[in-house]
Amino acid sequence: MLFWFIAIAVTAIACAALYYAAGWRMVNAVAPESDDANSHFRLVLAGIDADLAAGKLGEDEATAARGELAREILRLKSEANRVAGSGLAFGRAAMFGGLVLVVGLAFAVYAWLGSPDLPSQPLAGRSEVAAQQLDLESAIARIETQLTANPDDLRGWTVIAPAYVEMGRYADAARAYRRIIELGGPTADLQTSLAEALLLGGGDAAAEEAIGLLRAAADADAGHTMSRLYLASVLTGMERYEEAVPVWTAVLALAQGDEPWIASARQGLAVAESGGVVAPSDQEAEMIGQMVAGLAERLAAEGGSIAEWTQLVRAYLVLGDTDSAQAAYDDAVAAYPQAFDRGDLDTLALGAGLTINGAQP
Amino acid sequence: MSIELGHFALILAFAIAAISAVGGFVFWRSGQRIALVLSQGAVLQFILVAVAFAALIQAFVTSDFSLLLAASHSHSLKPLIFKISGVWGNHEGSMVLWISILVAFGAMVATFGRRLPSDLLALVLATQSLLTAAFAGFTIFTSNPFARLIPAPIEGNDLNPVLQDIGLAIHPPLLYAGYVGFSICFSFAVAALVSGRIDQAWARWVRPWAMLSWTFLTLGIAMGSYWAYYELGWGGWWFWDPVENASFMPWLAGTALLHSALVMEKRNALKIWTIFLSIITFSLSLLGTFLVRSGILTSVHTFASDPTRGLVILTLLALVIGGAFALFAFRAAALRQGGLFAPVSREGALILNNLFLATAVGAVLVGTLYPLLLDALTGTTISVGAPFFNLTFGALMAPLLLVLPFGPLLAWKRADIVAAAQRLIGAAALAIFAAILISALGGATISLAPIGLLLGFWVAFGAIAELVDRSKIGRIPLGESWRRLTGLPRSAWSTAIAHFGIGITVLGIVAVSAWETELVTTLNPGETAELSGYIVAFDSFDSVEGPNYLSDEGHFTVTAPGGETRQMLADRRTYVASGMPTTEAAIQTYGFSQLYLQLGEPLDDTHVVRIWHKPYITLIWLGALLMAFAGFLSLTDRKLRVGAPRRAAKPVPQAAQ
Repeated sequence: MLFWFIAIAVTAIACAALYYAAGWRMVNAVAPESDDANSHFRLVLAGIDADLAAGKLGEDEATAARGELAREILRLKSEANRVAGSGLAFGRAAMFGGLVLVVGLAFAVYAWLGSPDLPSQPLAGRSEVAAQQLDLESAIARIETQLTANPDDLRGWTVIAPAYVEMGRYADAARAYRRIIELGGPTADLQTSLAEALLLGGGDAAAEEAIGLLRAAADADAGHTMSRLYLASVLTGMERYEEAVPVWTAVLALAQGDEPWIASARQGLAVAESGGVVAPSDQEAEMIGQMVAGLAERLAAEGGSIAEWTQLVRAYLVLGDTDSAQAAYDDAVAAYPQAFDRGDLDTLALGAGLTINGAQP
Repeated sequence: MSIELGHFALILAFAIAAISAVGGFVFWRSGQRIALVLSQGAVLQFILVAVAFAALIQAFVTSDFSLLLAASHSHSLKPLIFKISGVWGNHEGSMVLWISILVAFGAMVATFGRRLPSDLLALVLATQSLLTAAFAGFTIFTSNPFARLIPAPIEGNDLNPVLQDIGLAIHPPLLYAGYVGFSICFSFAVAALVSGRIDQAWARWVRPWAMLSWTFLTLGIAMGSYWAYYELGWGGWWFWDPVENASFMPWLAGTALLHSALVMEKRNALKIWTIFLSIITFSLSLLGTFLVRSGILTSVHTFASDPTRGLVILTLLALVIGGAFALFAFRAAALRQGGLFAPVSREGALILNNLFLATAVGAVLVGTLYPLLLDALTGTTISVGAPFFNLTFGALMAPLLLVLPFGPLLAWKRADIVAAAQRLIGAAALAIFAAILISALGGATISLAPIGLLLGFWVAFGAIAELVDRSKIGRIPLGESWRRLTGLPRSAWSTAIAHFGIGITVLGIVAVSAWETELVTTLNPGETAELSGYIVAFDSFDSVEGPNYLSDEGHFTVTAPGGETRQMLADRRTYVASGMPTTEAAIQTYGFSQLYLQLGEPLDDTHVVRIWHKPYITLIWLGALLMAFAGFLSLTDRKLRVGAPRRAAKPVPQAAQ
């Protein structure tokens, strides 16, 4: 309400200022239209006289300048007569019309875009609200007190278990999930969550128990992907590749085709199948070599961006060909002599022990 | 509530601007009354936009994150100065800054322009209101800075770390004052075209505005260049980046406008060309805004790029520029051409200046837009880099600089080139001597360096030559010369200082291009490196905590060739809220030269350190400061000078002011 009051007051003052600017009380004040132009010409004329007196101008030149000035004044006079008063009259009706349009436009646009009822919320006034909303610890403490009094409260455990995980209290989380399974019976999701809490808590014994739980979950639900993904990656991480391969295969078989984890699952399967090493085959190595050679040829012939040069140097370094990397780096420096063009490249070269600045200082 | 009041104030200003524009173009002939109302409207627009701007600042300072803009671009731990400057460190806020300056200039015209013919004043203010309505409308409807966010988040997203610098408080306001100031020239040009009247009084009105805007633009560009130099961490001071070009093109066109307005004011010639330049200069400013805001270019200037906004700006651009040029095409023929003059004259020299500057604008425009157009039309990505610009721009500027010293020595209407040349012999001899001396001392490593030095010295000494000539130093007693020198009109001083500034900038550019040295190396605390006689010792490396960032600091001690030692502190910061890193280079100034040191990415157990020695680099910005100072000096010279048919062969000194 106060907002609208101020907004209306501001608008009213603005409109009044515009209205009074028109000066309706003055009786049809006619502006001395050509006053300014005349004062300008008087100054020019005075300047010509001064120059004449100072000897800058000869008598003839001064006469010529005055003549030029006179012609200019005459021309302007005729134009001014043509212009004056030839337009639409700006009367009270137009003024009022304009003011109504201003008010209408302003309030319509504000009513559309504004939020007049929203108060400001500076940080100083907001911190208490924030504290109330955010005190997770005290909320958990309250639930914990309730659960001590009533350990069979399934809903309480269900709320608190993920909160424990969020807070990094994995042992408590595992305890909570166990209690949920005791009270409500095992499901694949709960077993997976318990296994997750155990794995996050760490330790070999916990990992073995987690694997057992994940296998149970996977057996219980033939379509459960989460447990299988966990299981496969845990097994791969523990280098138990032979056990991991069928799980990766199974989870990939469950994929619909648009899941975000497919790429990493394929990669996991490849790692597990190759016994932990992903070495490029001879054919692949040859292909990489051809691509690098192609890039090098193109850069040598046509030049390229600094990013391409950096890519070439990095490729040589990955292939272990330090000499070619050095040569490529030197060519890049020749192409981009300014150091500020070559930030990443110089860092890469320094890291790889290439010679920069011509010679190592 | 202050936020909503600010929102309402901006909308009310938009409404007043929109109706003023319509009313102004309908009733401009009706007499003084409409001009008075529009003047009041211009002042009201200024007050209302100032209120809106203040509301935004208030929300940022109190970290009111119920304002979406503050939540997205501020942080409660940010130092106060960056909370304030952060208001325009983003798209929406910078549009409000743009509008603020636009209405501030409008209010200035309304205040100082009471003595303008009322039809001209009404048209100028109507055009100015039209621009305000267009930009305020764009801001309110497509990028509203007053959008709210409920519930308010606990903490804001922080400002881009690169922008958390004192440069953000200075560079955009100056640059915008320059860009937007040219809108006044644009409005005057439109007014002249609509009314069909254009005379010397018009030029007398336009030139101060062009001068003021040009001065701000010069400062803004110089500040931006220095900011990029010390903040972006690569020690480059000009990259021919499209965004830089976008500010440079209006500068070049504005420089041409200054000179052509001079011809018009003094000699009543070049009228149509001056109008054309007024339109083109502001159009280039708008083009810069479009390029920066549309998301076409990616740089530190690109805030939230949004193709929709780009389309709206493009439409605005097409309407404003297209409309102005259509008006020009229709009406220019109706304007009366001005006075006649011989090819060798002050007018002729200024036309030559305009010719070169206009061509330079064209070259930069082509270099900037061609890759964008090619990408848009064929999908081919090419980059037009520094070599293209250095070559074309350098080739265009060299002859301009060569003839520059002649200009001020030529008389209006008909001049004697031989006499002017005779008066420049001293300057030429000095320039050749200085260029040879310095080339020999510095060891010219690139073949163009001596030529560049020669040009720089020639322009600098040539600028002084006019002062020397007019005060007759050496030919009459020294006291008399001093009296003459102090009695010279300020415009003569301003011309000399501005041209001297260009020479100084050229010298800085040439020196740093020819003799810059650099060293990229790995250093551990305790080790030293040497560059161009400076010995840099890496003293220690610490991790410290700033107000809203963590910092890795390298402390260095530099021993200059003279034996003087100084401490340098270079750091790499990681900003907590955004996780973004920045590098803060350490810079020490020795005379006009600088040593620039940057702590690079940490390698396994060592640090990459980049060191540059940049001889005479500060001359580049010093020259720009001189040019801007000359602009202000010229603004204080209110004396009207007379263009006479022919000046006497021997100039007589002006009386002391």
